[in-house]
Amino acid sequence: MKLPPFAYFAPSTLEETLALLREHGDESKLLAGGQSLVPLLALRLARPSVLVDLGHVAGLDHLAAGEGSVTIGAMVTERRAERSEVVGAQLPLLAEAMPLIGHQAIRNRGTVGGSIAHADPSAELPAVAVALEAEMVAESAQRGRRTIPAESFFQGFFTTALEPDEVLVELRLPAGESRTGVAFEEAARRHGDFAMVGAAVVLRVESDRIADARIALAGVADTPLRRPEAERALRGEEVTAEAFEDAATAAARDLSPPSDLHGTAAYRRHLARVLVRRALVRAAQRLGVSP
Amino acid sequence: MAQVMAQRFTGTPVKRAEDPRILTGRGRYVDDVTFPGMVHAAFVRSPLAHARVVSVDTSAAKAAPGVLAVYTGPEMEALIEPGPYGMAAMMNIWPPAHSLLATDKVRLVGDLVALVVAETRYLAEDAAELVEVEYDPLPAVMTAAQALDPESPLIFEDLGSNVLAGPKVTTYGDVDRVFARADRVVRATISQHRHQNVPMETRGAVVDYRKDSGEVEIWSANQGVALVATVLSARLGIPREKVRARAADVGGSFGLKIGAQREEVAIAAASRDLGRPVKWIEDRHEHLMAAGHAREETLEVEAAVTNDGDILGLKVGIVVDAGAYPGLGGMVTNIIEGMVPGPYKIDALSFSSTSVVTNKATYVAYRGPWAAETFVRERLVDLVARELGKDPLEIRRRNLARREDNRQMVTGRSLAGITAYESLEEVLGRIDLPAFRARQETARNEGRYLGFGVATYIEPAPGTRANGPLGAEQMRMELAEDGTVLVYTAQMPHGQSHETTLAQVVADNMGVPFEGVRILYGDSAVSPPGLTGGSRSATMAGGAALTTARLLRDKVLDVAAHLLEASRDDLRIENGSVLVAGVPARAMTLAEVVGALRQPGRLPEDVDTELKVENVYDGGTGGWSGGTHCAIVEVDLETGLVRIERYLVVEDCGEVINPAIVDGQIRGGVAQGIGAVLLERSAYDAEGNYLSSTFMDYLLPTSMEIPSIEVVHLEPVPLDPVVNFRGVGEGGMICTPAAVCNAIEDALAPFGVRVLEQHLPPARILELVGVIEPE
Ligand SMILES: Cc1cc2nc3c(=O)[nH]c(=O)nc-3n(C[C@H](O)[C@H](O)[C@H](O)COP(=O)(O)OP(=O)(O)OC[C@H]3O[C@@H](n4cnc5c(N)ncnc54)[C@H](O)[C@@H]3O)c2cc1C
Repeated sequence: MKLPPFAYFAPSTLEETLALLREHGDESKLLAGGQSLVPLLALRLARPSVLVDLGHVAGLDHLAAGEGSVTIGAMVTERRAERSEVVGAQLPLLAEAMPLIGHQAIRNRGTVGGSIAHADPSAELPAVAVALEAEMVAESAQRGRRTIPAESFFQGFFTTALEPDEVLVELRLPAGESRTGVAFEEAARRHGDFAMVGAAVVLRVESDRIADARIALAGVADTPLRRPEAERALRGEEVTAEAFEDAATAAARDLSPPSDLHGTAAYRRHLARVLVRRALVRAAQRLGVSP
Repeated sequence: MAQVMAQRFTGTPVKRAEDPRILTGRGRYVDDVTFPGMVHAAFVRSPLAHARVVSVDTSAAKAAPGVLAVYTGPEMEALIEPGPYGMAAMMNIWPPAHSLLATDKVRLVGDLVALVVAETRYLAEDAAELVEVEYDPLPAVMTAAQALDPESPLIFEDLGSNVLAGPKVTTYGDVDRVFARADRVVRATISQHRHQNVPMETRGAVVDYRKDSGEVEIWSANQGVALVATVLSARLGIPREKVRARAADVGGSFGLKIGAQREEVAIAAASRDLGRPVKWIEDRHEHLMAAGHAREETLEVEAAVTNDGDILGLKVGIVVDAGAYPGLGGMVTNIIEGMVPGPYKIDALSFSSTSVVTNKATYVAYRGPWAAETFVRERLVDLVARELGKDPLEIRRRNLARREDNRQMVTGRSLAGITAYESLEEVLGRIDLPAFRARQETARNEGRYLGFGVATYIEPAPGTRANGPLGAEQMRMELAEDGTVLVYTAQMPHGQSHETTLAQVVADNMGVPFEGVRILYGDSAVSPPGLTGGSRSATMAGGAALTTARLLRDKVLDVAAHLLEASRDDLRIENGSVLVAGVPARAMTLAEVVGALRQPGRLPEDVDTELKVENVYDGGTGGWSGGTHCAIVEVDLETGLVRIERYLVVEDCGEVINPAIVDGQIRGGVAQGIGAVLLERSAYDAEGNYLSSTFMDYLLPTSMEIPSIEVVHLEPVPLDPVVNFRGVGEGGMICTPAAVCNAIEDALAPFGVRVLEQHLPPARILELVGVIEPE
């Protein structure tokens, strides 16, 4: 479990970083908090010949509220985001999901950008990004900046829309709206483990009816998964236990989740239903409307 | 001299002498040991479970940067003598003969194929990737059923089948008569799953062969340096006295690190071949995959019972999946057989056993290796109760042997001094069961499922003399110049806190302060031969410490009587000084006594002035440890997750040397038992790929999953006139899986669930209840 050989660069500006990526492309990997990449290197499952460390690059650790949205620099650590007042006030879904990521020691190092770019389908942040319809901002030397909506960002197991020469620079997350309740529910084997299944829910209730709902699942497919059918089923409904149960059933329908040591496909499908229902109930309770 | 000692330290929670060093990162583990010119080893391991090795090409690896040597199987065989290693060497288990590194075949994923030695472990791993091995795959034998199928390929051609031991059938008592008398027979097939020891420190060794003197020194993580030296001497073909085996701090083992292991013999051969010190530190990936696994057994049991709930007799058939190489798996059934009646009044037993080889990691000892007997018996008691519609507690009360019964197990083991019944009563005195049942009922109506379970066990710690010799624990003790008592123990502590517990016993019996005792261990050149294992050291080493300290004290008093010109009967040692009764001014420190002996003419010629004793302690009367565990759980039937609300242990380990250490041993064992049921599993797929080779897959319990564990100690029942310390190392792990599974079955009672397996991850719970379909 020793890392394979590689060349190591520690640039201090984004320009240098982009130039290195342009030069080395496919052969290179960016290193953020290292919490996912270093274990992969130690197991020799990843073998880049060039490692470009983002740890000294200026300008990637901003966290600020803007017009209706919050911008989080890719190198903001998970722990900093978790403790940020801006996140607490404007991104309650993110604030709720954050403490579920690993353990504090991991969140001290792991970064928001790293988690998004790593695109583990069981991870919390990608599911939150999808549920909130976040945007990812990427930059390359040749093509400059572009914005990628969460929906098309996650493309498969550990696969994103990022090109080998691109750096994920920041995330833009729409700030919480009024009359909107959120909840993140997950089931993990142990405290701090990756979720077997996670469910992120955003629920807007107006005049006692569900005006809008967004549901995203982690751990049930090769990417985080929006559940539009379940969302549609909720729209216009009253806040009732039946409506939530039906939506949860719809959210779990047709899933073909992976089967592994931690849970069978049938189990994960079942969990998806349970967790979506629990998340909907809690989101509604936050709005003071109990089903 | 029968004199009651003032017990200042024994029985009190003296702070661990080991802690300041270990907790501040100043412990010395194998990886902390370095030698000048040391080089590093990495093994090429098999990616296949079962295959013929067609060819091994090491040329590219040999040419890689920093590489000193690459050894294939045949090259390694040329450097060593054939024979067993590790625990098999202790039990002299050999054949089926096999090479150290694969010559003809690989028999598990992670099997050793080649050894690379390079300047750093990084370079060694880089080169290991360049070794080209051509395999001819064979079908893998992955289950005991496959192993028993005559159509399956042979793992060892020499063996003629895949059966390592058995089938062996033994009966005790009149089994037929007892079963004929029974009102009914309760049957179940109950299994324990494969899981593993996972000490914090993996295996590892540094070996320094000196070409100048022909001597070899090995530092390794082990449970006894003597066996390490014996194995190395035999396998390297060098005289035993030229091998010095050492160890300092050992980060846990739980039965795994016994003798010099396969990898250690290989690096020793490489060190001799190269004339360089060689280090191998097993990484976690290697460890989980190939260090050894434990506990994969299936037991078919039948209990002859009366409608009143008397368990008259048992029929037990066990099949052990012993993994790929010979080890404990071939003989653990003997201990299970002897222990299966436990503290119960069972009049007849038939026991049949078979151990088979499979293409999985070798079966190793793990904290209470025979624990299958407790798991199966304590599950069975609950199953009997369910079948009869009775309370499991009532079945236990009816069938547990009482101390005053003075019984022996039907297998012949004396049950002298057991307190299993008292421990059950004590548990019930501390749990308000009617209140729990009421709460359980209310909760069920709200869709919440609570469960209560108990399990009772005894463990031979060390066992009773009535069943034969308990061993011979050697100890040496001497007084150093400064008056410190030097204690040379045969124990090799790896978490047992001997530096503290033995010092407590010696301090009290010698009359010196706790700090005035030094416990020395882990050097085959000076340590008496021995091993730490099997919940034995409290009695054996504790007893050796007590008796040896008294011998040394007597010797000191003999010479002090001359020096102080006082009657020996008026002397006593207190706080490191010899005191004369009634004459406080005439005291001598122990350092002064030693100093006086160095002056010629101070003592008559015929007085023995060597303040050194060697002693062998035979275990005295011995005895059992045991107790009852109680778990209260809540099962979430939507997620299948189990939360342990309360965990209570009532136990008896005789006279407690250090309650904090005893409680720590119990809690650690309980945590491992909870882990076994809820989290830990060493899993393979059907092709023999190992699925649990990282800590993301092999889940250990953390402090978040383990509840606070209450421990209550019963009043000790003295059996021996002098030594009544009993071992406590294994009990926590032995009893917990049954207590937790019993509680889970109780929680799931409304669904008629029977728990016949030990591993209950959340998906399995929901399958048992019928919420989801099994895969
Ligand atoms: C024990 C443990 C438990 C964990 N539990 C959880 C959990 O429960 N939930 C969870 O979500 N995560 C968990 N993690 C993962 C953790 O959140 C990681 O930190 C995170 O997924 C990756 O972030 P990082 O900064 O460490 O990225 P790194 O490991 O440094 O990088 C990960 C990948 O992202 C790429 N990358 C990183 N930054 C960028 C960027 N700015 N632009 C483009 N590509 C980039 C890297 O090249 C690499 O491929 C756990 C980790 C550990 C070790």
